[in-house]
Amino acid sequence: MSSDDETPTADGGTASQSEAVEDGQSEEHPLEWDEPENNDKAPDERASVSHRTEKYDDRKLVTGQAKYTADYEEQYPDLAYAAVVRSDIPHGRVTDIDTSEAEAMDGVDAVLTPESDAVPDAKYTSAGQSYPEPSPWDMHVLNEHVRYIGDPIAAVAAENRATASAAAEAIEVSYEEDDYVTDPEEAFDDDAPQLFEDGEVENEIVGHDYDRNRMAHIGGELGDVDAALDGETHVHETEWETIRQSHANVEKHTSLAYTNEDDRHVLITSTQVPNHTRRQLAHLFDIPIRDIRVQKPRVGGGFGGKQAMVVEPIPLSLSLATDRPVLYEASREEEFYAMRSRHPMKVKAKTAVTDDGDIEAIDIYALSNTGAYGSHGMTVAGNVGSKPLPLYSKVPNARFEADIVHTNTPQTGAMRGYGAPQGTLALEGHLDEVARDLGLDPIEFRRRHHMEVGDLDEIAGMMGGEGANRRIRSCGLDECIERGKDAIGYDDLEQPDEDHLHRGIGMALSAQGTGVAGDELGAAQIMMNEDGSFHLQVGGVDIGTGADTAFLQIAAEVLGCDEDDIIVKSSDTDVTPFDYGAYASSTTYISGMAVKKAAEDAKARILDWGSKLLGEPVEALETGDGTVYSEASSDSVTLEDIGYEAAYGDDEREHILGKGSHCTEESPPPFAAQFADVTVDETTGEFEVHKLVVAVDCGVAINPGMAEGQIEGANHMSYEMAVSEGITLDDEGRAEVADFDEYGLPPATETPPIESILVETHEPTGPFGAKSVAEVPTNTVPPALSNAVRDAVGVRVREMPITAEKIKAQLDERNP
Amino acid sequence: MDIELTINGERTTVEAGSADDLATVLRQHGHIGVKCGCDGGTCGASKVFVDGDVRMACGMAAVDADGSEIQTVAALGTQDDLHPVQQAFVDNFAVQCGFCIPGMVIQAVALLDSNPDPTEREVREALDDNVCRCTGYQKPVEAVLDAAERMRGAQSVAADGGHSATVPPNGNESTRCCGGGCDE
Repeated sequence: MSSDDETPTADGGTASQSEAVEDGQSEEHPLEWDEPENNDKAPDERASVSHRTEKYDDRKLVTGQAKYTADYEEQYPDLAYAAVVRSDIPHGRVTDIDTSEAEAMDGVDAVLTPESDAVPDAKYTSAGQSYPEPSPWDMHVLNEHVRYIGDPIAAVAAENRATASAAAEAIEVSYEEDDYVTDPEEAFDDDAPQLFEDGEVENEIVGHDYDRNRMAHIGGELGDVDAALDGETHVHETEWETIRQSHANVEKHTSLAYTNEDDRHVLITSTQVPNHTRRQLAHLFDIPIRDIRVQKPRVGGGFGGKQAMVVEPIPLSLSLATDRPVLYEASREEEFYAMRSRHPMKVKAKTAVTDDGDIEAIDIYALSNTGAYGSHGMTVAGNVGSKPLPLYSKVPNARFEADIVHTNTPQTGAMRGYGAPQGTLALEGHLDEVARDLGLDPIEFRRRHHMEVGDLDEIAGMMGGEGANRRIRSCGLDECIERGKDAIGYDDLEQPDEDHLHRGIGMALSAQGTGVAGDELGAAQIMMNEDGSFHLQVGGVDIGTGADTAFLQIAAEVLGCDEDDIIVKSSDTDVTPFDYGAYASSTTYISGMAVKKAAEDAKARILDWGSKLLGEPVEALETGDGTVYSEASSDSVTLEDIGYEAAYGDDEREHILGKGSHCTEESPPPFAAQFADVTVDETTGEFEVHKLVVAVDCGVAINPGMAEGQIEGANHMSYEMAVSEGITLDDEGRAEVADFDEYGLPPATETPPIESILVETHEPTGPFGAKSVAEVPTNTVPPALSNAVRDAVGVRVREMPITAEKIKAQLDERNP
Repeated sequence: MDIELTINGERTTVEAGSADDLATVLRQHGHIGVKCGCDGGTCGASKVFVDGDVRMACGMAAVDADGSEIQTVAALGTQDDLHPVQQAFVDNFAVQCGFCIPGMVIQAVALLDSNPDPTEREVREALDDNVCRCTGYQKPVEAVLDAAERMRGAQSVAADGGHSATVPPNGNESTRCCGGGCDE
């Protein structure tokens, strides 16, 4: 298979890359970028971009009028409701399913088991990724071989939710139980229970070894790491552990399926990936892609948990079986044990550092627990290395390897940051410790090594993937550090009066990507109405981030009209052009660029009509304030007149349409510097986080208000990763969490104030200079907080979450 | 059984089983601003006013609301004429996916009704059982503090004749209903 998604490959070539950068330039990735003239204007020269434009759906959202998937319920009086029977053993074979009692219940429309005709038998992956899919096809919609507590076995449709739940509970499942393994290290043992037979999985991934429960092994090397480790006196090694974090999207996974009057199968569904979902359903159900319509309404949070086809096949199967529309809404409990979570990992970091404090080599190894199935397993693990390591792309020798293993535990998947949080904790915690061991200031130590404008990111290249060898054309790291230091008060920290209390500041850097280099597509089209307004149809997916508003701002900037004069329709596969979906921090960069191109295409036609109506050459004309105007003559014509003339005017009438597609080999990293201010009680280990500051270089912020919201929300999620236990499992791999309280989400009173700082640079490959913002601040609080505790009381917590008990244990160990 | 509710000023008789929660019943009657995020009173998305008190509708039996006056987020303001709290959420970019926002707005209005000049700590305490996953709490807290200031400003403006009103003065106790269309 091809594995060029967010994908490292097994072998990383290095020689040609090194040659390419000797002169600091390469033909493929030049520093000087051929940027369109209109892309680079000062913010105050812009009418729409760089403004705090009101989010276009906000008024509907704050008045409760906006419609999410479950809100379509009332439109389907014939609606049936789904419930799912799930495995309550960690590993085994279903020997019998007794559905008789459920089928006899009043109001039950259908009971499906793996044997039912309406249930597809094909293997697939739930990961909503590009094609060919870089995740193994190892799942069935309903299972006879169950591999974790939560694996779906049967499904029910009934006239209301209560009946559906009661019917599901009435189904008796008999099992033949197998041995199980929940620990990722034990899964490697020769005598460990095996989850998959060799050859059982389709679309296998590089480095798989199912005899050892290994789904994939990946890696890459730049230079000669072993030689560098042998050659230096300062060799440091540390190991880090991260939690099984829940997306905890407040809107649960929800999907409504029916067959419409045109015999086409419609999914109204809470998804980040409508086009991938359409393709995956077509594969599973053997239905032509054209006969499936995926509509994304408002989405109540995704964070990667909905970058997967998690629930959609269930209502579609039930709808086919009952000939009724069917709604499936996961329960909150199911969200924790049967939807998706962040891959828990153990990550080792090793460095060789010279006496002078130069880093000669970095070596990272990750062991990722992908759970029972392999969705997003390899690509997430790849990002553990490929996202944070480029921060230190000046380091001559680097290596990254990862093993991704199966255990009989709940399924993992994509989650905001996508492997970068795990890698950032290890790298930024490790380097902080190295600096302190060598008596160097941790911030200055980072400054000596971090990436700068003009660098060719060879570490991204070592991980493989077309176009991953990025040239850095925008980098605001120094400014992020400076402004972050000021905001947290780094240089004038006051210690508490009490002797047992100690205050410290920790910092961490982070880099992410913007889209997947060489593996993204966004498309858009714009139709001009005869009143001079526009319809923007864009495949890009707004899951609450404000993407639709950013699209409107980009289009309005090009067309010279007000955002209110554009209607946006996004993410309906029958209506909107193709798009890979909302993930990999790509939406503004990729889909936004498609919108810009579509708007420019429409603008060219508008200027032609303006030229005709004003009698001036196109070159003399520009759009703005809802007109086409000539600076030379001061004449102008309104867009409304142009819309009317184009539709009703002379014999060359036309419908003014613009279209744009965008794909690119580029994936410019956004950057962040995180600071955490903490006071630790030396006698108890208890700590208080006074403030989090995160400064982010996202290029140009299309909408600074929305960008701040993204940053603060991401940082909140990052804080949770640092202090919450996540989804804990018992010995059998059963989730011990059923609601938000048990999960331990930090509420408003337990969340420190978060200050977001926008450090704007200009990324020439992005629309109006934009790169991404949504993921990079998700990576940084765990290392910054670990570093802050180290700064305050001198002990190091490497296993998340950071708790008073762990700090106290370390303090006791130090002072027995 | 049939129960009587006055929902956003409109009196109605609805059927509710003994196991039905109030959120489900309200949603079945088109009040989609009542959101269900948790199945049991831990996320705050289903908050409504029941006889003036904030309740999580998903954690309350519908039959227990028999005879009550219910106000959902839709009663507070219209898209053209937002309640100051709603306006402040919009203006402060405190809304992303928006799923938790109806519950947050209800809770914020309740807070400002009883405490027009809250501290940041008091705002955080008020929002403590409202889960927001997109924005976190920084901007919602700022929005509530901003709304408080606007509403205090609106009150003092009203006292001097309303000459320099910049926000719609519809944010107080008396306008917790549907803004003109109801009996209150």
